[in-house]
Amino acid sequence: MAGTDALITPHVRKGSEMRRLLADPLVLAVAIVIQVLLLVFIVWPLIRVVVVSATRDGLFSLDAYAEQLRSWYVQRAVWNSLLVGVCTAAASVGLGFAYAYTLVRTAVPLKRVLHVLAILPIVSPPFVSSIAIILLFGRGGIITSGLLGLRDFNIYGFKGLLLAQVMTFAPVAYLVLRGVLEGIDPTLEDAALNLGAARSTVFRRVTLPLAVPGVTSAFLVVFIESLADFGNPLLLAGSAFPVLSVQAYLQITGMFNLRAGAALSVLLLIPSVAAFLIYRAIIGRRRYVTVTGKPGRSSLKATSPGAKWLLFGVTLAVAALVVMFYAVIVVGALARTWGVDNRPSLDALRYVLSVGMDTIKDTLAIAVVSTPVSGLLGMIIAFLVVRKRFPGRGALELTSLLNFALPGTVVGIGYILAFNQRPLLLTGTMVILMACFVFRYVPVGIQSGIAVLRQIDPAIEEAAQNLGASSALTFRRVTLPLIRPAFFSALVFAFVRAMTAISAAVFLVSANWNLMTVQILSEVGSGRYNAAAAYSIVLLGIVISAIGIIGLLLRRGYSPVQGRFL
Amino acid sequence: MRQWFVWMLVGALLMPAAVARAQVPSLTIYSSVDEENARKILGAFSRATGIETRITFLSTGPALARMEAERANPQADVWFGAPSENHVDAKIRGLTQPYKSPNAAPLDARFRDPEGYWTSFYMNPLGAGLNTKVLESRGIKRPVSWQDLLNPLLRGLIQMPSPQTSGTAYNMVVTLVQIMGEDKAFAYMKQLHPNVQTYTTSGTAPSRAVAFGEVAIGIQFTPALYQLYFRGYPLLTIFPKEGVGFEAPAISIIKGTRREAEARRLVDWMILPEGQDTLAAQETFFFPVTRQAKRQVGLPALQLVPLINYDVDFAGKNRQRLVTRWVNEILGGR
Repeated sequence: MAGTDALITPHVRKGSEMRRLLADPLVLAVAIVIQVLLLVFIVWPLIRVVVVSATRDGLFSLDAYAEQLRSWYVQRAVWNSLLVGVCTAAASVGLGFAYAYTLVRTAVPLKRVLHVLAILPIVSPPFVSSIAIILLFGRGGIITSGLLGLRDFNIYGFKGLLLAQVMTFAPVAYLVLRGVLEGIDPTLEDAALNLGAARSTVFRRVTLPLAVPGVTSAFLVVFIESLADFGNPLLLAGSAFPVLSVQAYLQITGMFNLRAGAALSVLLLIPSVAAFLIYRAIIGRRRYVTVTGKPGRSSLKATSPGAKWLLFGVTLAVAALVVMFYAVIVVGALARTWGVDNRPSLDALRYVLSVGMDTIKDTLAIAVVSTPVSGLLGMIIAFLVVRKRFPGRGALELTSLLNFALPGTVVGIGYILAFNQRPLLLTGTMVILMACFVFRYVPVGIQSGIAVLRQIDPAIEEAAQNLGASSALTFRRVTLPLIRPAFFSALVFAFVRAMTAISAAVFLVSANWNLMTVQILSEVGSGRYNAAAAYSIVLLGIVISAIGIIGLLLRRGYSPVQGRFL
Repeated sequence: MRQWFVWMLVGALLMPAAVARAQVPSLTIYSSVDEENARKILGAFSRATGIETRITFLSTGPALARMEAERANPQADVWFGAPSENHVDAKIRGLTQPYKSPNAAPLDARFRDPEGYWTSFYMNPLGAGLNTKVLESRGIKRPVSWQDLLNPLLRGLIQMPSPQTSGTAYNMVVTLVQIMGEDKAFAYMKQLHPNVQTYTTSGTAPSRAVAFGEVAIGIQFTPALYQLYFRGYPLLTIFPKEGVGFEAPAISIIKGTRREAEARRLVDWMILPEGQDTLAAQETFFFPVTRQAKRQVGLPALQLVPLINYDVDFAGKNRQRLVTRWVNEILGGR
């Protein structure tokens, strides 16, 4: 770890680090506050879960682990989870890279629309999206049966799960990769081209190596999220294709065995932590700095016309799929009886806007409050991890990932165990919901921030400090504007997840606070599929507006004239 | 500037506390009855008694998990809904407290705990939902029995929940074991296996797939099936003639409640004719547990449903074993 930093901040001598830190009490204070928060909201609930998994009648015992690992079914679930995790991550990163590269590095039309369409699938409203997937890819699906002519195609199992996960997580990869690709100075590519390198060589030897932090961060994030995801497998995997996260959920909610569920979740952390260590080994010892303060203007010549239009074709195909996916839901929201009687009717929308208004407001309130907290926290942690040195820094990045790597059910249970007694009595309040969202989904912001920060020469920030700016001022006026793409990703992701997360929330919602996704679940339960679809459309509308507003705020905040943020 | 930044950070972190809402005192309920029906039933209760309710919706598993996790400081007064065998679980774990309602005396013994820990207030039989359109388009005769479901033309056209996750599916396993005997029941489920497209996690997922024509037949408890028919889906509900099990969702008072009197009123009211008639009046598609109660239009008379004498005790005691056997033999083919 120390080696990494020596490379990233080569002109700072180690010995002077602690002195520097003491001279800058704000950084120290912020670092301490954040570490305390992570201890309280991530480590403490996790400890409660681990304790449950490793005790029997109050005594230490690893029975639960041994029992689970002996079962052939759990063994198969372990294997399936890893398989799906690796495939989903590889496919998502590949697709996300192609998509981001097309939009950032080539001159193609429709960029803004394609950008929004790339992000939308993160919304993936629970249950409704599974109905949309059945209507598109099921036995009589529009795509499987209509376009491809497949008869009796079975969507349940590995294929369906992979499809659904790639659809949900590729946008996350796109968000992370876009930030990194935007940060690569295109003049480097131009220089290589001018020196006579072929375009493919430039891509292979310049662009791709410089994108490594983004690719690895995106892979890590998607891999971990795929392992922890249980919404998709719950609906599409079925019992014949067990995965670990669902098994953990089932042990808790199906067999009422909290210990076994906790044990399985702790097992789930092993591949995630391993992936993190591999990632750090890959990324740790190299430099990726390309943003050095000199303005680079892209001529976007690095891609041949053939490759460009091929990429554009792929991008359009993905976008078309997204459009179809939501078109199916829009039809559902406006149909009398979704799937049976598709004559238009506004009843469902009217119903949702009258009955569901409180729910919409509650959800929005929680998302609006937790989004800036989560986004800012992500950027600050990324900044601390990459740029600063303080005791416990090495553990900070890993700790921040833990809640992300656990299935939501377990996070929810951990939160109840940890926060249902004084002095930390938070159950039933909005704080517990918010803390859950913020600390669970902050890693995407952190990883985006870290990937982008690694591209930026610390000399720029040091210049500001040498001119007398405080750490805070430097962060606000120099760092934050430079990592704007990562900040955007962090805010969008935090907002969408706060609006749509359900698994942990189920344990934390109270009669005081109702969430839209919980409402969608309940409408599906009552057979009001068109109302569920209508909720999803409202959700989608809110998210699209939010993406627009966040983008606008960030652009305003960084107006080149004022050059400041907030 | 420094102060400004610190202020911003502190503000951002403290904001949630400021927004937290004041809590209104009233009966707090964990409802495993779906939101729409629970609101209707409990709304009628509030109108009749003047007792306000605050409802949080949790399906059976999450409700139990949450009560267990909150044991040290219970957040709710009543657990409303979820099959009686799960209330037996709650009783064994010491999560609930007894109350013998004077109104419960005329209830059938299978609808109440002898010590008063739980009281059932409605029941749902197991049924098969047929998508008549899909069956017709494939020229398949409508099945009327468990045996008929083995029809090879139905290959991949049935969905049922998985007993690992769903009380509904476990109910079906126990039903078959009671009708056929254990080994024959497992042989039957093995034969049925190729016809099952997927074993869903949720007990109500099959009805969704049937409604949209993804499969022809879904096996589950009946309310969602009737409800979808009522919403316009081509869905016919049948009861396999060899017999079907049923669930009898119950109500329990959570141990440590601070509103015992109000909680007791709810138990009392639910099994009064007033409460029982609400089930029909509010179109819940639930069967009442008392004989005198009104029957909802569209529901068959209970005498026409071939109910078996479902053995809750046997079901509870053999759960782990039967589910493990199901996983090994049906899923694993061992």
